[in-house]
Amino acid sequence: MEERGSRVGLANTAEATDASTVDTAEASGESLQEKGFVVTSVDSVMNWARTGSLWPMTFGLACCAVEMMQAGASRYDLDRFGIIFRPSPRQSDCMIVAGTLTNKMAPALRKVYDQMPEPRWVVSMGSCANGGGYYHYSYAVVRGCDRIVPVDVYVPGCPPTAEALIYGLMQLQNKIRRTSTIAR
Amino acid sequence: MSDRNETLAAQIDERFGERMTRVPSICGELGYEVDKDDLIEIATTLRNDGDFGFEMLVDVCGVDYLSYGSDEWTTSSATGTGFSRGVEREPVILDEADEFDPRRFAVVYHLLSVQHNFRLRLRTFTGTSNPPIVKSVVDIWNGANWFEREVFDLFGILFDGHPDLRRILTDYGFIGHPFRKDFPLTGNVEVSYDADKGRVAYKPVSIEPRTLVPRVIRDDNRYSADLKDVTDG
Repeated sequence: MEERGSRVGLANTAEATDASTVDTAEASGESLQEKGFVVTSVDSVMNWARTGSLWPMTFGLACCAVEMMQAGASRYDLDRFGIIFRPSPRQSDCMIVAGTLTNKMAPALRKVYDQMPEPRWVVSMGSCANGGGYYHYSYAVVRGCDRIVPVDVYVPGCPPTAEALIYGLMQLQNKIRRTSTIAR
Repeated sequence: MSDRNETLAAQIDERFGERMTRVPSICGELGYEVDKDDLIEIATTLRNDGDFGFEMLVDVCGVDYLSYGSDEWTTSSATGTGFSRGVEREPVILDEADEFDPRRFAVVYHLLSVQHNFRLRLRTFTGTSNPPIVKSVVDIWNGANWFEREVFDLFGILFDGHPDLRRILTDYGFIGHPFRKDFPLTGNVEVSYDADKGRVAYKPVSIEPRTLVPRVIRDDNRYSADLKDVTDG
């Protein structure tokens, strides 16, 4: 939350120097004096909300999906990060491409991505999704899912461990925190 | 186990004689080569006759013998240098001849007799016709339906009498039969998202084919000398 342009902290009317803040405090009466208030920027609040509730579209394509399930299960428990898998692209803001993307699946992947509401992010999980991997020379495999959808985070590995996927998702959270939605 | 197999082999010899030719095997498995015109009759007998009772069709395979017996790297021992990964294969010649080598394509049927606990393998060559064609066994074993679709998809072998001979594995609108030895590994097309068209579009393949794993024929004691003459066919 300690971002540039944002002020976060507890204050009371006695210390507040901003005129508008004093007005607000006086208007809301004595409860504000007792409990205090928080000042921040809209950007920080939006980024806080987005990083705290990443809902990934479940797109398991191969063995990477097993590690993705492992990350979501009780041992690593993605729920702790507010990451809850959704079965519908309409409810998702993140897509984890976990596994080999074949030519036949590519239009379906793009369609699912197009159905996701913005803002949306894509995590490419594993060698196959990153660049074709083991199947790079195959006649049936897309040589990297970034040929189909724009990718934010690449997680290497074959398959990546559940820890690696979680690290990748934390990197995605960092990336989201850096964005400023409100144009200045 | 092999004694029981030899008993079955004797029965088969007695019943079919010259029409089923035994294929030698190191481990005593039963394999037979049959003429494609005899296939339906022999398969029906093998399924329905109480002595055989092959009621289950485990698998149907296609085989392309185009480059069978040729190797890219002759070696008899381990090497310190290895095989260069950058070897270029000869350019692909699409086989558009009117006739194939009569022993180019084969279809292999794996049978199981549950009641007698026998396993049996039938191999039939498709002959010279282009496209290669054999009779379908769907009427004998209903489970052959998808197996034959798969063989058709990957090898382009047609099955006469199949109720629904469509592709089953490859992409919609795929051209070619990828398991044929003259099909390039990297294929002919690749897909990517075309922002102008707003959809996933096909383009000619952008990478060069490479020999990653060379074809090697090991000439050591794992292979019986008895089998050498057979593989030459």
